[in-house]
Amino acid sequence: MLRLAGVAKSFAPGARLLDAVDLEVAGGEWVAIVGESGSGKSTLLNVVAGLDRPDAGDVLLDGRALDYGDDDALSLWRRREVGFVFQAFHLLPYLSVAENVALPLALLGVARAERQERASQALEPVGLAGFGDRRPSTLSGGEMQRAAIARALIHRPRLVLADEPTGNLDAANAGGVLDCLAAAVRHAGAAALMVTHSPVAAARADRVLRLADGKLSA
Amino acid sequence: MRPAVAAMLSRGTLAASRLRLALTLACIALGVALAGAVHTVHSSALTEIDRAARALAGAADLEVRGPRSGFDDALFASVAARAGVAAASPIVEVEAARPDGDSIRLLGIDSFRAIALQPAFVANAASTSAAGVAALLDPDAVWLSPVAAARLGAKAGSTLALVTGAGVKHFRVAGLLPQLHAGGELAVMDIAAAQSYFGRIGRLSRIDLRLAPRVDLSTFRAALESSLPPGVVVSQAASISGRAAEITRAYRVNLDALSMVALATGAFLVFSTLALQAARRRQEFALLRALGVTRRELAALLAFEGALIGAVGAIIGTGVGLAGSRALLERSGANLRAGYFGGVGTFAPDAWGLAGIALLGIAMSVAGSLWVARAVARIAVAEALRDRAVDLPRVAGASPWIALAAFALGVPLLFLRPVAGLPIGGYVAIALWLAAAVAIVAPLCRALLGRFSPTGAVPSLALAQVRHLPGHLTASVAGIVVSAALCVAMAIMVFSFRVTLEEWLAGVVGADLYVRSSASGDGAAFSEEDQRRIAALPGVAAVEPLRYDRLAIGQSAAPLSLVARPIDARILAGFQAEPRDMPPADGSLPVWISEAARDLHGWRTNDRVTLPIAGRAVDARVAGVIRDYARTWGAVLIRTEDYRRLTGDTQANDLAIHLRPGADATQAQAAIRAAVPRFEALALEDAGEIRRRSLAIFDRSFAVTYALEAIAILIGLAGVTSSFAALAWSRRREFGVLRFLGLTRREILAMLAVEGAAAGALGALIGLAAGAAIGAVLVQVVNRESFHWSLELNWPVTALAALVFGIVAACALGARTSAAFAVGREAILAVKDDA
Repeated sequence: MLRLAGVAKSFAPGARLLDAVDLEVAGGEWVAIVGESGSGKSTLLNVVAGLDRPDAGDVLLDGRALDYGDDDALSLWRRREVGFVFQAFHLLPYLSVAENVALPLALLGVARAERQERASQALEPVGLAGFGDRRPSTLSGGEMQRAAIARALIHRPRLVLADEPTGNLDAANAGGVLDCLAAAVRHAGAAALMVTHSPVAAARADRVLRLADGKLSA
Repeated sequence: MRPAVAAMLSRGTLAASRLRLALTLACIALGVALAGAVHTVHSSALTEIDRAARALAGAADLEVRGPRSGFDDALFASVAARAGVAAASPIVEVEAARPDGDSIRLLGIDSFRAIALQPAFVANAASTSAAGVAALLDPDAVWLSPVAAARLGAKAGSTLALVTGAGVKHFRVAGLLPQLHAGGELAVMDIAAAQSYFGRIGRLSRIDLRLAPRVDLSTFRAALESSLPPGVVVSQAASISGRAAEITRAYRVNLDALSMVALATGAFLVFSTLALQAARRRQEFALLRALGVTRRELAALLAFEGALIGAVGAIIGTGVGLAGSRALLERSGANLRAGYFGGVGTFAPDAWGLAGIALLGIAMSVAGSLWVARAVARIAVAEALRDRAVDLPRVAGASPWIALAAFALGVPLLFLRPVAGLPIGGYVAIALWLAAAVAIVAPLCRALLGRFSPTGAVPSLALAQVRHLPGHLTASVAGIVVSAALCVAMAIMVFSFRVTLEEWLAGVVGADLYVRSSASGDGAAFSEEDQRRIAALPGVAAVEPLRYDRLAIGQSAAPLSLVARPIDARILAGFQAEPRDMPPADGSLPVWISEAARDLHGWRTNDRVTLPIAGRAVDARVAGVIRDYARTWGAVLIRTEDYRRLTGDTQANDLAIHLRPGADATQAQAAIRAAVPRFEALALEDAGEIRRRSLAIFDRSFAVTYALEAIAILIGLAGVTSSFAALAWSRRREFGVLRFLGLTRREILAMLAVEGAAAGALGALIGLAAGAAIGAVLVQVVNRESFHWSLELNWPVTALAALVFGIVAACALGARTSAAFAVGREAILAVKDDA
């Protein structure tokens, strides 16, 4: 479903972070990218998300290449096709948990009643049923990340991108979040790409790739 | 993005500091309130004038009017007898002086004729009894409009004292004229009595006409006009309201423009607040972009928030402005101390005008938010999602060339001719130069910050922090620049005007004493005998008679004042005439015109002009142009001997008295009063008193301007203080780190004070430069084209220095005080804060 073909990215002459990277991720498959700090993991994720333009190569989702020259088109593509899970959770503090989870639907123009219904449904599998009316500030780190996972999948994206999803969590919470993420991705049938420096987190993925010297290897 | 979703996401703005949001709303509200109040006062004044004009015009179609001194009443018979006239009503109109120094508008009417055109003037119009008729013709009776009666505390049977040619006379208030409720303050009496008591024997001020059915008004008017003597014109009835609107337009527009100052500054505060919030919500905006919100949708979200703030502020401001203007009208009338309107108190807001002002407030707020959106659109999404940067996103292209281009664009506009009497080119140039001043802030800050390398930990840290936050510094400094520039510009304009006026007064008020038959109104004039008696007094060296009239020049809206007085080289020097010399005697009649007369009538030195004096078309030659700040709509000076020869009128309204050296002024005044005992309300002032009173009137007339200056500065400082407070809260983690490293709370506050002072100094100095340029435009272009006054540019150095110092001190204090809460225990705790 997701294919990277010859993606290259440099930030300075001679400093190539991504060097003709090729990658395929099937629907329902969860791939983890590990590497040293500064190896280019986040850059790879940004390129896949359309937030950064590669110097060369293509990123294709279901055979359609991203047009990096059209920012609006990329934004709309992310809105429909991509779900994000961030290290810092990034729940909006002034919205309730349910409103945060339903935010992608709101951006897609889904009616309020349907948004509320689907948000309630989305909170159940992540163990947050009944948390809908609470504010993010009243949740623990693990709970916030699980809410973020619900948000990332509520609009049935084709692609899920997770950037250090357990970076701010302790071991117990990290485990719960990873279970949640695995179940949600498989249930949704989305292609999932996770970058992490945690071996524990990486081990939960279907496939682990290492990014070093700009190259991906198994 | 649906409006409902935008509204949901806008909770971010509300969730941020409510106090800061309230402050922003207050500033927008204040700007809208001020602009709305000024506009409402003016619209009320014009509405009142219009209502009064219509009430007084009654059923009249046309009015024939002449100079202030009136025209020959023999004209009435020929006008009334013209074919097509259904009814004609002669009127004598004077501004009757009262012994207490006040005056009242008085109409002398022929009741039997007025009843057909203005029945509202005639008490008991239906009465045909002998007693009723006798009352109408009683020369000692006056009738008052309800407004006049209320103000004077008069009623039927009480008396009204008025200054007449024979001294103070107590008239019997015969009753009220309830149908003249909309006519303003008015007294009505029999026309013969008015002519007799107020020196108008054989004279009329006006003839109102109603035409017969199916008579074409334009044709009749044209035919009548051609038959009237010079100085007598015909216009549509109630046209005074249109004339009032036209001749006060420049004044109203200028004051409206000034009141927009507060509005613009308040809008800048919106920009500053939204910019700061954009910095705090950086990650939130990055998240929305990551979730698929386009740049345009994000800009629309910010514009929505700006519009929301603007709308709420505008609604509050409109309400406050209406309440304020109502209170102002009830308390002191529509005058605003500038003398353009009388003390009318009717509250008549102009809904469309107020809606326009409110929309302008909203538009400025939206403009400020869109400017922030430009910077927000440039957020590097991935970077913002990870970092905790608190600086404002910077807009690309903040190049000094933009500032220079804006400045250069404004220069040719200064030379554009006025449009409908308004200095549009000057206004646009001012807006461009203000934009240039704001545009230069960022590049100037970059350039200056790079040059300083202070010693000492605290100043070094302050500079390092300021360098790290160029976006915030730019927004803060820009806010100060806008309010300081406008304040400086208005200060220079007012000071220049005041100094010029002071110097002019010193030149034209050259006599020792000035004598007037009454403090106000058309009091009795000094006869030739009165003048001789006063001149013969022991302490009096010379008496200069001053005679005034107001001429009607064609269809011109502006009345032209005629001043007959002795003129010599000394007088011309006092009036700063160009040329200064007395003209050679070449057989022509020399007159001197004011700058306003020159601009409004297109006359130039050496031009031959025709003036309607005493019912004759008099040929004259313009000998020079004088400065005259007393008569707004133009004046013509003519020598006393020439005036007397043309008119046979030897009377004088005022006398300028030169005392002999060593003469006692107090004794001289007593002697003068004794010499003319029939003038019971004689007003005597020495030159110093006149100058002081004139300058006091000037200061009061600019009270609104002073208030607007103060408000502009307050709003600017409020914005800076608010932004420093918010920034300090965002930086409490770094303050905590500094505390851990050993800096004391006092040292951190000193660092913030240095930052505030730096922002204040930058803003004040850039604002000073911009304000000086704008002030020069106000003096040399706006005032000249709006009011036809030449002013000398003067610099209030002490006041400007105090302003700059005050801004720097206020910014330093504001930054230090507003951040005090962020450097205490919260800062230390914030170091461990992972949120």
